[in-house]
Amino acid sequence: METNNNETVIEVKDLVTHYGQRKILDGVDLDVKKGEIRVIMGGSGSGKSTLLWHILGLYQPTEGQIKLLGKDIHRISFNEQLQLKQDIGVSFQSGALFSSMTVGENVALPLREFTELDENTIRIISRMKLEVVNLGGFHKLMPSQLSGGMVKRAALARSIVMDPKLLFFDEPSAGLDPVVASEIDDLILSLRDTMGMSMVVVTHELDSAFKIADKITVLDNGKNLITGTVEEIKKSENKRVMDLLQRRSRHDKLNPKDYLKRLTQENYTLT
Amino acid sequence: MTEDFIHFDKNDELCIIYVSGEVDLSNSAEVRKTILSALKTTPEVVVNLAHVEYIDSSGIAAMVEGLQFANSHGKTFGLSKPSKQVRSILELARLDQVFRID
Amino acid sequence: MINVLIKKVESIGISTFQAVERLGFAMRLFWDSFYWLIIGRRYKQKVRLRQVVEQIRVNGFDALPIVMALCFVVGMMLSIQLLYALSDFGAESQVLLAIAKSVTREFSPLITGVIVAGRSGAAIAARIGSQVVSQEIDALKVIGIVPVRYLVLPPLLGLMVSMPLLVICADFMAIFGGAIFSAHELNMSINAYMLESFNVLIVGDVLQGLIKSVVFGIIIVLVGATTGFYVTGGAEGVGKATTSAVVISISFIVLADMIASYFLTQ
Repeated sequence: METNNNETVIEVKDLVTHYGQRKILDGVDLDVKKGEIRVIMGGSGSGKSTLLWHILGLYQPTEGQIKLLGKDIHRISFNEQLQLKQDIGVSFQSGALFSSMTVGENVALPLREFTELDENTIRIISRMKLEVVNLGGFHKLMPSQLSGGMVKRAALARSIVMDPKLLFFDEPSAGLDPVVASEIDDLILSLRDTMGMSMVVVTHELDSAFKIADKITVLDNGKNLITGTVEEIKKSENKRVMDLLQRRSRHDKLNPKDYLKRLTQENYTLT
Repeated sequence: MTEDFIHFDKNDELCIIYVSGEVDLSNSAEVRKTILSALKTTPEVVVNLAHVEYIDSSGIAAMVEGLQFANSHGKTFGLSKPSKQVRSILELARLDQVFRID
Repeated sequence: MINVLIKKVESIGISTFQAVERLGFAMRLFWDSFYWLIIGRRYKQKVRLRQVVEQIRVNGFDALPIVMALCFVVGMMLSIQLLYALSDFGAESQVLLAIAKSVTREFSPLITGVIVAGRSGAAIAARIGSQVVSQEIDALKVIGIVPVRYLVLPPLLGLMVSMPLLVICADFMAIFGGAIFSAHELNMSINAYMLESFNVLIVGDVLQGLIKSVVFGIIIVLVGATTGFYVTGGAEGVGKATTSAVVISISFIVLADMIASYFLTQ
């Protein structure tokens, strides 16, 4: 939107995290500017979702620093964290709508909890957001009555109801048919263009990534593999990046002895 | 600050409300109150948004409430000269087709 | 052989560790609930009265018919057994006293506890468990809502209020059940039997039942919530958690009942 604005809104430095003995993230860095759409890609097990959960403060890292809107999320008070959360919207892979509430109540929940607005105003705002995601009139339905694409759009409406500055997506178009998926991509772009939101999108859908990304970061084995514009990623000659673009999964070099063991030994377990 | 943020020109027929600066959760209630009380006393209210740098959803909701009140009480409500940011937000929710904008 | 032994010891160790961990988690839930109840307003974590009232309705009021019916039957059953047992000593007149005391002190809180554990304990575990699985808990956290305040505190307060109310109704129905069966044997009218029962009861008897019921309510919510929060493995995990929430909370209720009886009867 504004190209002259170079303010960093998301800054991750040297993030390391373990799951048991295994290193999931091994020194990841991330730097997202205001109004930028950053797509994070990588094969399964590359740590891309883990990175997202860390940025949102759902997991504690072993080492490293995470700053959102200039604030170190681990060093601010509860009230400052709460303040920060009003500026953040998250759209989960499964939607994570509260199943005991109607769609309208889901969208209105952050307003009800954290603003002093009049009930009439809350109703207008939440229905307006449902209009934005093209779910006008659906506020009375329960989440279980919605289709997969509608759940994701309703979740998107809830994530933008507080007019956040940062928006995070976990697999926004996974499991959707191409038409609905591209609708969601268009929504993401128009939200950025009108509201100037900065976004981080974790996805493995190449088409969607190329369509929406300003920059793409590829993770591999918990490390930054490459960060660049769509063109740069497409031209990359890094073998793992090319594998990812051509949807090749990695096969380790075959060790015939091991292979035979895996097939024949009764008590074989992965070490 | 507050004096600059909202002021109005009023005669018996028309009230023009000038809003400027940022409209967000902290001051949208005031905008709402001003619009609704103007609508109670004058048959036509226009909100001038030329100098609004930022408006959030609660600000837009205040306009919607103004329109709702005007329609149900036989009065006229309109927006004028929305800034680029305001217009794009109105368009996002397709409210540009609902409001009278001049 | 040795290996098998080591494996066994190891698995006992692991499950002991997990049990202690969960016990700690439950204590933490209890502490956090009251922390947010008292301090929440300052951090925009208000407890909604509406939510608590809803919990009282779902966990208390809706359980009323079944609690009353079962306690009525238990009262009758007690009077059958006691009439039979005490007639050997010619002490039938003591049936009234025995029923009134045993019902208010022991049976109605216990029966109510077991029924509510089966209804609400299971429901709490299933609800929280499925919310863990569907990322709703994470969604609450990123919105800025403390899950304990939103999911544990309302049922906790709800049960702490509705359990004693249920027990009072249960007391009444159990004594009434006893009256139906034994008033005739004792040559009393049902009215007179009821009045006499209330006369022999002292405040301490009823109070003991009420205190127990509050403790049971706390146990039910904490066990349900803890098993819910520890759910892993999708829908199947939710099912398992629901079952174990009921079994564990009933076990703890019986245990707590014994301990409470010991101390309250000193």
